[in-house]
Amino acid sequence: MSSLLQAVNEKAVRLGIPLSVHLDVTYRCNERCVHCYLDHDDNGELTFDEIHGLLQQMADAGVFYLTLSGGEPLLRNDLFAIIQRARELTFSVKLKTNAILIKEMEAAMIRDLGVEKVQISIYSHRPEVHDAITKVKGSLDRSLDAIRFLVSQGLKVAMAHVIMSQNRLDYPGVQALAAELGAECTIDPTITPHINGDRGLLKLNMSRENLSHVMHDPAVLGGDPAKFCAPPLPATDDDLDALPCSAGHSACYISPYGDVFPCVQFPLPSGNIRAQKFIDIWKDSPQLKEVRSIRMRDLPVCSGCAHVAGCSRCPGLAYMEGNMRGPSTADCEKSYAKTGIPSPNMIRLGLAGGSGR
Amino acid sequence: MSEKYIKPSRDIAARMLDDEMIVMSVRDSAVYSLNATASVIWGAADGSTPLREIVASKVVPQFDVEPEIAYQDALDLVEALAREGILVVADHPIKQQDSA
Amino acid sequence: MLSPAANETLEIGIDIGRLPIAVQTGDPEYLRILEHRFARFQCNPAAAVARLELTVTEPPISNGGDDELKVERTGTQWTIRRGDFAAQWNPTERRGQVRSLPFHYALDSVLRIVHSLVLAESGEGFLLHSASAIRNGRAFLFSGVSGAGKTTISRLAPADATLLSDEISYVRLLGERYCAFGTPFAGDLGVSGENVMAPLHAIYFLNKGAHNRVSPVSPAAAVSALLRNVLFFAQDERLVGRVFQTACEFVSRVPVFELTFRPDEEVWNLIR
Repeated sequence: MSSLLQAVNEKAVRLGIPLSVHLDVTYRCNERCVHCYLDHDDNGELTFDEIHGLLQQMADAGVFYLTLSGGEPLLRNDLFAIIQRARELTFSVKLKTNAILIKEMEAAMIRDLGVEKVQISIYSHRPEVHDAITKVKGSLDRSLDAIRFLVSQGLKVAMAHVIMSQNRLDYPGVQALAAELGAECTIDPTITPHINGDRGLLKLNMSRENLSHVMHDPAVLGGDPAKFCAPPLPATDDDLDALPCSAGHSACYISPYGDVFPCVQFPLPSGNIRAQKFIDIWKDSPQLKEVRSIRMRDLPVCSGCAHVAGCSRCPGLAYMEGNMRGPSTADCEKSYAKTGIPSPNMIRLGLAGGSGR
Repeated sequence: MSEKYIKPSRDIAARMLDDEMIVMSVRDSAVYSLNATASVIWGAADGSTPLREIVASKVVPQFDVEPEIAYQDALDLVEALAREGILVVADHPIKQQDSA
Repeated sequence: MLSPAANETLEIGIDIGRLPIAVQTGDPEYLRILEHRFARFQCNPAAAVARLELTVTEPPISNGGDDELKVERTGTQWTIRRGDFAAQWNPTERRGQVRSLPFHYALDSVLRIVHSLVLAESGEGFLLHSASAIRNGRAFLFSGVSGAGKTTISRLAPADATLLSDEISYVRLLGERYCAFGTPFAGDLGVSGENVMAPLHAIYFLNKGAHNRVSPVSPAAAVSALLRNVLFFAQDERLVGRVFQTACEFVSRVPVFELTFRPDEEVWNLIR
């Protein structure tokens, strides 16, 4: 990240400005991915007028980065109208989509509207594996065609690849495909629980052995395993004073029904924009204030863990596990997979060998 | 000297963050920070108000600077932003660009 | 392509179901989008039997808060409104005006409604909430309300079935036979676009169940099911009556079944 961007983020946190908002415009979807954390019904989505008003409120509040997603955002036939309005208000707009509805015309429209980036989920370079995950035959071909159309329009495309048990062998193929098509590729080795709390989806996660292999791959780590997988250094005061992440500090999430959460992966109900103004929720919500009060040293278990400085701990996953100040076992697993050193949480849960069982 | 007219390029994102304007070119994702004076000029860049007038009516009173120096600095600024592709600078008023 | 003069009207013809409609607009960007959108259905606008004039406008456009489609008739004029557009349609003059944002979604809706009204009036056919496919030169419709399985059965279609749509089917009498026509209108799966047609062999009303099974349906039940799935805006008693007659006529000529199916490919073995 450039030093200017870093300075901008730090300033936003310091001033308490919601620099980034992730807005899901619908939970409806035309795929049925096996690992999806959402229900795909329509329970009364925000109308075009409501979104229009919300966009103005967000611009006034200082929101700069707007991510539009879902479900599948292109199922809203006012999506382009929404993007157009967001661009008139000079948001930097990122679109997350499965892209099976994006053909040449849509790619040109997305480009003309000045969308900054399009992120598309690709589960494998092999159609049979990808389509078995999305449950739509032909979806990989359609998504890849869309990537070609978008890239040919000069748009930045990111392939988001989630690794689970059934596609665990395919991430090198996906990375190669991304390189070939001129797209970035990000890899995420964990499945999130359902937004309603049901943890059944977690059984789709790959095995610990596979995770270890993945977390030693330089192509995934983005660097030398000798560096990333080394035993963690002792935590400094700065590490303990650090924020868990930007959720609630300079970023938040809004659902298609107007519910505000710190993050899509941190579904703590913090207010609803149908009942209150966005800025009032951002500033005065007791839930967001509580989230903002937490520093790493306030976490009873994690503050004493060797991994506290380098762990990828997601407070949202911790919240879904039962305690927003508690550990996120999925992230303990990742730290363990990288370094071979189990966290106190893992030992306590009996997930790894260690003393005191 | 002819009048200069300025208007933000269509393919940008922008937001005031306290006293600076953050501008991003959506094509290459380059990010810029405009200081207080530059932000005032950017905010007044409607394509129809001459730069000279923007400087005289907004910059000079707010920042208590010499008008000629302020105008020269403003010219340098807008030309630099034009080179980066984030601001359109012309010798004639700039019409409303069509939306997609 | 030369840019047009300031006030020149730009026009394309869109032929769906052998009902050509001329669409004109003053906005060249908008026209380009429409030319692309309706590429496979373009025809000579001079052949049109109806005309729509499109004006680009900024929001807020109409309902003020409501995204629901509203179709109402006052006198001879129909008014069509949704969050993103407002339109008028005069069936006697066969002319309409549409005010919307410069994306094709408004025109998609207006075209569906105009075709529905024209077909209702002539009694020749209807638009139906159904997936449709052509297999062995025969057209099959799979009808049902949202959630009945139209998207599912479309997803399961084998390679030798040409899907016409996963959501909206166009049915019209051609001579003595009802035929299904491809349209540019797609459902969530985005299936549409083939400008082809075939004689209608059967219509299946969908049901999800444990076993794949085709069962007969009584004419009364068939008419009932059809009326539940026809795209229609029952504001006009006389027109409702005509649609009812059309449904009865249709049921007397096209085999109607109930198709109960599991979400697997084997159901397509029953459709030949």
